[in-house]
Amino acid sequence: MKRLLTVTIVPLLMLTVGCAKAPTDKVTAAEEAVNGARTAGAPKYAPEEFAKLESALTSARNEVAEQDGKFGFFRDYEKADHLLTAAQTEAARVSAETAKKKEDVKTAAVQAQQAAQTAVQTAQGLVEKAPVGKDRAALEAIKADVEGLATSLPDIQKAMDAEDYQAAQAKAKAVQDKGQAVSAELETALAKVHTAKLTKKK
Amino acid sequence: MRFSGSSYVATALFSGLLLTASGCIEKVPSEMVQSIQSLDRQLVESQGAEYAPEAYARFAKQWVDLQGRLQAEEDEIVWPWENNPLLTALQQVRADGEAAVAESQAQREAKRLETESRLVLLDGRLRVFNSRVDEIGSRVVLGPKPVETALLLHQARSFYEQGLYSRSVHVAQQAARMMEVQAALLTTTLGHYADERRILAWRQMAQRTVEWSRTHHTAAIVVSKADRRLTVYRNGRQVLSYPVRLGYNGILEKRYQGDGATPEGQYHIIRKRDRGQTQFHRALVLNYPNPEDRRRFQQARRTGRIPADAFIGGQIEIHGGDDVLMSQTLGCVMLDNWQMDAIFKEVESGTPVTIVGALRLANSVALALAGLDQAEEGEEG
Repeated sequence: MKRLLTVTIVPLLMLTVGCAKAPTDKVTAAEEAVNGARTAGAPKYAPEEFAKLESALTSARNEVAEQDGKFGFFRDYEKADHLLTAAQTEAARVSAETAKKKEDVKTAAVQAQQAAQTAVQTAQGLVEKAPVGKDRAALEAIKADVEGLATSLPDIQKAMDAEDYQAAQAKAKAVQDKGQAVSAELETALAKVHTAKLTKKK
Repeated sequence: MRFSGSSYVATALFSGLLLTASGCIEKVPSEMVQSIQSLDRQLVESQGAEYAPEAYARFAKQWVDLQGRLQAEEDEIVWPWENNPLLTALQQVRADGEAAVAESQAQREAKRLETESRLVLLDGRLRVFNSRVDEIGSRVVLGPKPVETALLLHQARSFYEQGLYSRSVHVAQQAARMMEVQAALLTTTLGHYADERRILAWRQMAQRTVEWSRTHHTAAIVVSKADRRLTVYRNGRQVLSYPVRLGYNGILEKRYQGDGATPEGQYHIIRKRDRGQTQFHRALVLNYPNPEDRRRFQQARRTGRIPADAFIGGQIEIHGGDDVLMSQTLGCVMLDNWQMDAIFKEVESGTPVTIVGALRLANSVALALAGLDQAEEGEEG
C-alpha cells in the first residue's frame, strides 16, 4: 500500500508542484512597456536605447520559448522572469528619457516658432512703410519674400501637430533668419529714403 | 565556482588564504565592463542604430544578454587557471562593439561629407540660379518660390549642423526640386525669348520701323527689352543708343494695369511732355493701348488668364527720372535725364516707337534660361 502511494502520489506532486508556470503576464507587461516606449517616440529620440530594449525583450522571449520547449518538470522560468522584469524596467526608463528629450525639443521648437512669427510680423510692418519709389523690382521681390515667409508659418504648426519638433524648429529658425534679413534690408532702404529727403530739403 | 553550504565560514577562510597566496581574480573585470559601457556610449553618439544597424544590433543583443549574466555573476571569482566563459563573452562583445563603433563613425563621417558636398553644390547652384534670374529681372515672376527654396536650403543646413544628415539630404532634395519648379516656370513664362520664329518676327518689326525712318527721312525709336536698350534712328541710321530701365516686371509682356510689365508692339508718340509737365523730367507719351493691345486684353479676360476686374491701363511713356530714389517703373521705359534730353530733341509727336522682346537669338533672357538648365544639371531630384 505504501509503495503504491509512493508510485502514484510522487509523480503527481512532481507534475503539479514541480511544473513551473510560464510568465505570460510578465511577457505581456514587458511587451506593453516596450510598445509604450515606441509610442513615446523612442525609435526617433533614443534609437540606440530602443534597439537595446528590443534586444532585451527578444532575449527574454527566447528564454521563455526555450523553457517552454523543455519537459514540464525541467522547466525553469527564473531567468526569463528576471530578463522580463529587467526589460520592463528599462522600457520605463527609456520612455521617461524619451519624454524628457521630446519635451526639450518641443520647448525649443515652440520658442523658435514664436520668434519666427515675430520676425514675420516685423517684416510685414516694414513692408507697409517701404518707400514705393525705391527699386520697384526689389520691393516687389521683398513683398513676395514676406508673403512666402507668412505662408510658411502654418507649415511650422503642421510639423508641431505631427510632433516632428526637429523639423518645426528647423523651419522656424529658417523663417526667423530670413525674416530678420528682409527687415534689415527694408530698414536700410528706409534709412536711405530718410537721408535723401533730408538732402532734398537742404 | 560557487561558495555556499554549511562549510561557508571554513571555505571563506580557506579561499581568503588562497586568494592572498595565489592571486585569484574577479570573474567580471570592472575595467572590461567599463570599456564596453564606453563603447555603448560612443555608439549612441555616433548614431550606431542608423549608421551601422546590423553591427549595432549584434552588439546590443550580446550586451543585453551579458548584462543579465553580469548581475548574476559579478561577485564571483575564479582561479587564474580556471576557464572563464563570461570573460570570453565580454571580450567578444568588446571586439564587436569596437568594430561597430568604427563602422558607425566611418559611415557617419562619409554621410556628413556627402551631405556637406551636396549642400555646397546646391548652395552654389542656387547662387548661380538667382544671379541669372536677377540678370534678366525676372525675380518678380517667381513670386514667393525663391524664398521657399531659400528656406528649404536653410533647413537642410540646420539639420546638417545638428548631425541629422539623412534629414538634411531629404530637405536639400526638396530645395533642388523647388529650383526645378522655378526654372520650369521661367521657361514657360519667358520661353518665347528663345523661340527663333518669335525673334524673327520681332526683328522684322524693328526692321520695318528703321525702314520707315529711312523712307520718311525722319526719326524712329526701337527698344529691345532683353538688351534693355533704346536706339534712335534718323533716315534709317542709328543716331543715339542708350541703356534703359523697364517696369519692375518689364521683361514680361504687358497684360493689364499694375502688372509692372512693359508692353511690346508698334506704337507712336502721341504727346511730348516738357519740363514742368511731368514728374519725370521729360516724357514721351505712347499710344498704349493700341488696337492690338486691346484685342489681346479682351481675349485674356475672356479666357480668364487675367483677373476679371483688371483694367488695361495706359500712360506708358519714355521718360527721365527726376526722382533720385526711383530706379524702376510701372511699365514705362526710363532713362537718365541727360539721355532723355538728347532723345527729346530728336523726336516729335508721331514718331514711331517699336518695343520688342529681343533682336538676337542669343539674347540675355535666352542665355539666362539656358544657364538655369546648367545650374540644375547633376542635382538629384
